[in-house]
Amino acid sequence: MSSARSWPALVVLAALAALPLTPFMTKYYMLLGFDALLFGAVAMSLDLLMGYTGLVSFGHAAFFGLGAYATAVLLERGVLSLWLGLGFAVLVVGLYALIVAYFATTRRGIYFALLTLVFAEVVYTFFRYTQTFGGSDGIQGLPAPYLWPGLAIDTPARNYYLILAYLALAYAACRVLVGSHFGRVLVAIRENEDRARFLGYNVQRYKMGVCVISALLTGLGGALYPGRAAYATPDLMLWTVSGELIIMVMIGGLGTLVGPVIGGAFFIILQEKVSSYVDWYFIVIGLVLIAIVLFMPRGLFGLRRLLTLRPWRATA
Amino acid sequence: MEYLTAVLLPQLLHGLVFGAALGLLALGLTVIFGLLGVMNFAHGELYMLGAYAGIAVIGVTHSFWVALILAPLLVGALGALTEVATLRPLYRRQPLYGLILTFGLALVFREGARQVWGGDMRRILPPITGSTPLLGMTYPNYRLFLLAIASVLLVAIWLFFTKTRAGVVVRAAVQDAEMLDGLGVNVPRVFTLTFAGSAALAALAGLLLAPVFTVYPQMGVEMILLAFIVVILGGMGSLGGSVVAAFVIGIAQSLLTLWMNPQRVAIAIFGIMILVLIIRPRGFFGREGVLE
Repeated sequence: MSSARSWPALVVLAALAALPLTPFMTKYYMLLGFDALLFGAVAMSLDLLMGYTGLVSFGHAAFFGLGAYATAVLLERGVLSLWLGLGFAVLVVGLYALIVAYFATTRRGIYFALLTLVFAEVVYTFFRYTQTFGGSDGIQGLPAPYLWPGLAIDTPARNYYLILAYLALAYAACRVLVGSHFGRVLVAIRENEDRARFLGYNVQRYKMGVCVISALLTGLGGALYPGRAAYATPDLMLWTVSGELIIMVMIGGLGTLVGPVIGGAFFIILQEKVSSYVDWYFIVIGLVLIAIVLFMPRGLFGLRRLLTLRPWRATA
Repeated sequence: MEYLTAVLLPQLLHGLVFGAALGLLALGLTVIFGLLGVMNFAHGELYMLGAYAGIAVIGVTHSFWVALILAPLLVGALGALTEVATLRPLYRRQPLYGLILTFGLALVFREGARQVWGGDMRRILPPITGSTPLLGMTYPNYRLFLLAIASVLLVAIWLFFTKTRAGVVVRAAVQDAEMLDGLGVNVPRVFTLTFAGSAALAALAGLLLAPVFTVYPQMGVEMILLAFIVVILGGMGSLGGSVVAAFVIGIAQSLLTLWMNPQRVAIAIFGIMILVLIIRPRGFFGREGVLE
């Protein structure tokens, strides 16, 4: 990562860090900022798969939800250390991601998408009906976690800075990954999987690797969610949430890191702002989505090259 | 014997009834999949709109039978309009865009229904009441009617695809739209009409099942997943496969509920699908290598 390329990111980061000092950042905006940055980071993790490797995961909500349940279960039992929660989330999400990645990467295209979708539905169904984890109500009324005893993440401002740190670290990790040899092989797989294989790369291992990395980044984001919301519910894992994450990536633009962050933040802020004026905000979001697909297929920051023209039988 | 007539047989019939309705839903999905290469995420919402359109028509005419004709026509017209306005510009783009577009359509339809009809559960009273003694048990007449009409429709659809010129054209479009275009067929019109037909079938399934289940704006969300499973199990793009798989899933689901709670049944069905996707992704009758 050259310093010449990283300074705009640092400027944005500094601006985001200074934002809470301005008078209009009320608690409400602090929490809205939390959600916007969180889902921006999650969308960025998903784009490692979608944009860089060309694998569409329809099951990312399960990684997010499992991370959330991991910390929620610990918080419910009085284990308030954030680090233990994050560690537990890495363990749980990592194990699940290994299983999903192992099986899903044996298949390409829509079969990959459907395998991730069905695995995620299994997890959703499990939590939805298991009373130990609160069934359909989930785990509610959780206490705030602490960084170390005495420093609890219990104010909107602290939550905001926590998620900003997570976004910054996740962005740095993705930036390093994308610029590395590993990242270039991923793009090679996206562009021509067979050629990458003929060049001697173990394509499935690379795909599994990026799946697990993307899942872990998403799961860590999920693990931070109960600290802000004080709950974890099975609805976090519903397949429609996975769909919304894909939408965020598409709004921002496939194949970039900054695009999905903006896409995620845009989606969350749009949803929040529209829903405070009208009750039918899902119609607005649906229409925005349709308009983007029709008129702005590159998204806000996407790569033109990913929008290739193909004949009718794009599938054959 | 007691167990057979009192428990097993009714459950088997339930499975057949549900499977037949599921077949109507999955058929539309698989045809659209073959044509556009896209899993239509809005299909569950068309199914839901069929039930609500039925409620609306019944509210005006007080007749389930009029609704059974009008509701699919209304939803079919909506489908045609949607196809022309949103899907047609995407013909030459990657399937991913179609997927996301239909996801957006689903959001609009679902929320639209909630705005118009409210979020509460609704019921449609069965137009046929009473039950018939059958093989030593009694079975509700409406479900028998449902099984009969769905079976007749499935046969009619099969005849349409095999015996009529229009049906052959649609199948040709599924195989190779570009070639069909080269032969002078107006392919966009075929796509639009097929989408309308698929929407009407989904609506019909929604209205037929409404007296058995409940009607609410999210009713399509779970149903569509089951329909996806059916389409994959049958082999994507295979019409006969979808019907067979619909009966398999319908019967498997109702028999499994005898021994498992609903949670385990759902997980078992997902498990079947994972196995099929890993071991034989083309399903029962799908062509090898499609969309890999």
